[in-house]
Order: sequence, then structure tokens, then C-alpha cells
Amino acid sequence: MDIEFRNISKQFQRVEGGVRQTFQALSPISFRIESGEFFAIVGPSGCGKSTLLNLLAGLEVPGSGEVLAAGKSVREPGPDRMVVFQEPGLMPWMTVRKNVEYGLKLRGLDRTERRERAMRYLRKVHLSRFADAMPHELSGGMRQRVSIARAFALEPKVLLMDEPFSALDSQTRDLLHDELQQIWQETRTTVLFVTHNLAEAVYLADRVLIMTAAPGSIKKIARVPYSHPREKNSTEITDAIRALHDDIKEEVNRVAAREMDPEWTPEDSKKRERDSFTLGEGI
Amino acid sequence: MSQGTLSPAQPAGNGGAGIYQNIATRLGFLLFLVFAWQVATMVTDIPSYLLPSPLEVASEFVRVVGDGTLFHSLRLSLSRMFIGYGISIVGGIAIGVLLARSWLVKQTLGSLFLSLQSLPSICWLPFALIWVGLNEGAVIAVIILGALFSIAITTESAIRNIPPIYTKVGRVLGARRVVLSRDVLFFAALPELIGGLKIGWTFAWRSLMAAELIRQDILGVGNLLETGRQFSNMPLMFAAIFTILAIGLTVDTLIFGNLERIVRRRWGLEK
Repeated sequence: MDIEFRNISKQFQRVEGGVRQTFQALSPISFRIESGEFFAIVGPSGCGKSTLLNLLAGLEVPGSGEVLAAGKSVREPGPDRMVVFQEPGLMPWMTVRKNVEYGLKLRGLDRTERRERAMRYLRKVHLSRFADAMPHELSGGMRQRVSIARAFALEPKVLLMDEPFSALDSQTRDLLHDELQQIWQETRTTVLFVTHNLAEAVYLADRVLIMTAAPGSIKKIARVPYSHPREKNSTEITDAIRALHDDIKEEVNRVAAREMDPEWTPEDSKKRERDSFTLGEGI
Repeated sequence: MSQGTLSPAQPAGNGGAGIYQNIATRLGFLLFLVFAWQVATMVTDIPSYLLPSPLEVASEFVRVVGDGTLFHSLRLSLSRMFIGYGISIVGGIAIGVLLARSWLVKQTLGSLFLSLQSLPSICWLPFALIWVGLNEGAVIAVIILGALFSIAITTESAIRNIPPIYTKVGRVLGARRVVLSRDVLFFAALPELIGGLKIGWTFAWRSLMAAELIRQDILGVGNLLETGRQFSNMPLMFAAIFTILAIGLTVDTLIFGNLERIVRRRWGLEK
């Protein structure tokens, strides 16, 4: 399904020092996502990238402009658009299988169809053995795989992922990158993937949109011209990450400069980088 | 939240004793208390109208069970609870939902309920007697005034504390309004909701006992206490107080305690 963001902007009301202020989260922004494309949005925190995803999901309404999914204006959540959030959001009172089945039940599938489909997608994430377990019996990575299975089970035309792996440890994340890549190749679902991790975006996506610090706008849209499946540590991928690194760094520093004491300069963190200290991603 | 499927050793404040050992120890202690009580009444000359022996209490207990007094009183008290607490549950949950959903209701009724909740509900009995009359209705009104506000307020907080992720996930999966509330929000709020019903029960039961104690004209287990006092029947007073205690414990631990534990375990809130 092709997606179009057309002149989208978004404002929030927020109280600062007791004064109600309008905060411009997104300046008017337009771009398209092709059908079957894996499209990633990367940006510093607070740049409005999750807002863009929520707008397409139908969980928020734009301040101006409109989001078109297959030519139709998005107003509310719909079965063609499924979301994987940063938290798995599994319902703790249902078994793993019932969690995957719930959306199918709302869609009116009968019991055997539901069960069969839930099991098929649980097998895709290699968790069919845990179908009758309760969510709290699973690890964080396993729960997020269930959440991915739940979204794919509804066979949406577009899958929206909002920093889906950022709460996981790096080994689990690597594993899930490969699983996601594989399922995506099988289904060729359109994917909108929001992250603050540039390496992840470049590794997975066909195109990467880099956003500026708030009010969010498009800094660059870069194509990653390599076919899937990709090798994480291949020179093509690492070169592509390096090529975009400065763009994202500039925006991260801009956010940092707003948050830190006035005497801070990006040079301070460069020094530490050289000493092989790592800064928090995305700050 | 635990990251693994392996559960760590249970941290226990009892040096690792098992559940049966805990129960045995508690029972043993109770038996010891009763025994000490019996011995104390035998070796001292405290008169029976001040402190009857456990045996006297037991025989009085057998008498009031035998002639039906106890069950009749219990039936009256519990049927008042059934009506009063039942109305409080239905009304309290409905008001709680309104408090959580409507800013206007929260600002108006919400602040009123919060201040009314700090008033012991038995203070309403004189009003209820005049407004409702010298009848069952006045006692039931006191039960409702004791339980309704606390159930409403805890229901509101249970709804407000639902993590927003469940609403988002539910909406994305296709649940809207009534279906969302029935399938998702209700269960997400359930652990806290049960806690609210438990507090409501406690308030209701205490209010009823106070009302029955004050009212001379109605029967009930609370009233048995007062009857015992009027006839200088201390064993009856003890039998009544143990009955009241037993009901409180049964409902608190057997019904609400177990319900809470089942839900919390299933939800993964405790192991």
C-alpha cells in the first residue's frame, strides 16, 4: 500500500514555567512511501518521528495536512495498518496465543481459522512452543516477537514499527533484526520503521528519512541501494551508515545544545568519544 | 519486570519455612492463647461476668446455634450486607467510571465524595433514621454511605492507572468504545478494582456492625453484643464477637484474598 504524508504539521500545547505555550512538533512535511517498501525514519528525540507514525496509525490527528493510505485519508485505526510499539503491550490476562488471536476475533474469523493463523505466525517468530504460556513467563525479546506475530497475523497492508527494539539488549536486537528481515521478505508488507538508531535503519530499510530537531522536518532522504538479505557488518552497510552519520549527529547535537548547560559544545562529547566512552543514543 | 523464565528463589521473611509450617505455627499459637485463657480463668477468681472461660463461651455458642438465634441474626445481617453492599458495588463502579471519564463530574461530585469519605458513615445514622425512618432502609443507607464513596474513588483510580499502551493496542487491533472497555480496559483495571471492592466491603461491614449495635429495635450479629451486655451475658458477647471476627476474616482472606491472588498471579504481578 502506498502512503503519502501531505503537508503534515502538528502542534502540542505544553505548560512551561506556568505559561501555556504552543510547541511546534512538526513543521509542514511531505513525503511518500512506495508500496512494498521498507521505509525508516531516524531523528533525534522529540523530533516528531513517533508522531508521524501515530498519524498514519490513526491514533493522532494532524494539525494540518493529511495522511493518505492507498489514496484514502486516514482518520482512525484500521485493519490495513498494524503497529508494533516499543513496549510489547501484550494483554497479561490472555495466553500468548489468545493475544495473537484477539485482533482476528475482532475481525470476525471463526475459532479454527483464528487458531490456525495465530499458530502460523507464532511459528514464524519461533514461539509456537509458548502458545499457551502467559506473557509474564516470557523474556522481553520473546514478548516483542509475540507482538510482531500479532501484528503480522492480521496481514496488514502496512506495518508500523515505533522503536520496536530499543528496549532490548543488543544480542536480542540482532536476532530480531534478522527475523524481521526474513518475515518482511516473505510477506513484502510495506513497513514504516521509526528509530533513533541509524545503524538499524540503514541495515533494514530501502530508504532512510533523517529528520531535523524539533520542529521536525526532512533533512535528507537517502536510498540504501542493496538487496535483502543483508549482512550486518558488510562494508556496504557500514559505509552507508558512515555516510549518514554526520547528518544525524548534527541534529542530535542541536537537541543536546538546547538541553545542556550553555557552556557545552559538541567538542566536549567528541573528546569523550575518542576516549571510547559512549554517549546515550539519541540523548 | 523479570527478563527470564527462570524464577529466582522466593525471598521470604520466615527463614524459608513452607506454607504448611506457617499455618501450623499460627494455629499452634491460637491454641496456646485459648489454653492460656482457660488456665487463667481456672487459677484466678475473676468472675464469669467479667471474663468467662473458653468452655463457657463454647457452651453458650452451642446454645445460640442450637436455638437458632445465631443463624437468624446472621441471616439478617448478611441480607442487609447483600443489599447495601450490592447497591454500593453497582453504584460505586458506575460513579467511578463517570469520575474517570468526565472532567466536570470529577471537579464537582469527585471533590464532594473525597471529603464525604473521611466522615465515618455511622454519623449518618441519625439522619437516616429521620429521613428514611425506623426501618431496615436506614441501616442499609448507612452501609451504602460507608462503601459507595470508597468504591467509586478506587474505581476511578483503577481506570486512570490503566497503562495507555492497552488502549493503543486495543484500538489498533480494532476494538472501539464498548468492545474496548469490555475486552481490554475492564481486565486491565481488574487487579486494582478488586482491591477497591475489598476496601468497600470492609467499610460496609464496619458500618453495619456500628448501626446494629446502636439500634435497639433490630436483630443482627452486632445486636447480639448489645443483648449480651443488657443481660450481663458475657459468654454471649464473646460468642458474638468471635462470629463477627470470623465473618470478617472469611470474606477478607478466603474470598478477596484468594481472588486477588488468583488475578495477580495470572496477570504476572506476583509469582
